[in-house]
Amino acid sequence: MILFFSVAVFLWLLDASLASEQSFDGVKTFFANPICQFIIWGSLAALAYHAVAGIRHLIMDFGLGEESFESGRVTAWIALVVAVVLIALVTGWVFLW
Amino acid sequence: MVTTVTSLGRSGLSDWLIQRVSAVVMTAYLIFIVGYLIATPDLTYTQWAALNSTLPMRMFSLLTILSIAAHAWIGMWCVLTDYITVRLIGPKATILRIIFQLGMMAVTLLYVVWAIDILWGI
Repeated sequence: MILFFSVAVFLWLLDASLASEQSFDGVKTFFANPICQFIIWGSLAALAYHAVAGIRHLIMDFGLGEESFESGRVTAWIALVVAVVLIALVTGWVFLW
Repeated sequence: MVTTVTSLGRSGLSDWLIQRVSAVVMTAYLIFIVGYLIATPDLTYTQWAALNSTLPMRMFSLLTILSIAAHAWIGMWCVLTDYITVRLIGPKATILRIIFQLGMMAVTLLYVVWAIDILWGI
């Protein structure tokens, strides 16, 4: 649900960033606001987790791994750890950079 | 429960393939855009507009929004037909589910139209 509605946020950003030079500067001001940063952070964090879990599914669809309960458990944990690392990077990108 | 009338591909196998192809397109676009924004920290309006008005970039962006639409349609359909069911929440489930599904489809199609308007309006 978060991802579905964050599409609207990103389309609005794309619209504003491309409409005119003034609205492009408006987007830059938007990124400096902590509440706006939090909305972007939440959307990107959800997207990072979803993408990593999705790539795990694609790898499993190709039949890599032994398709056992144990490999399912291990790859789920790997996906979770990779997602946490990516979300940490997203946090740095959105709030600190 | 007749669920195939609202699924995107009208077949589970077709939906399965569309879901994976669209996932690959979106991942490529995500990596490209994030990479571009990190590589260009002092991005100007002129650069950004020039990038997005080239035909290959417009095609890539359009392909991505179409992938988002198909992927969201299939994903939301799965969730709605799994959880808003008569067995789980009672006899009102069918009407409730169709309302949510039609709402989701309307929003999805509006996203596509909006994206086309943005991309070809630069």
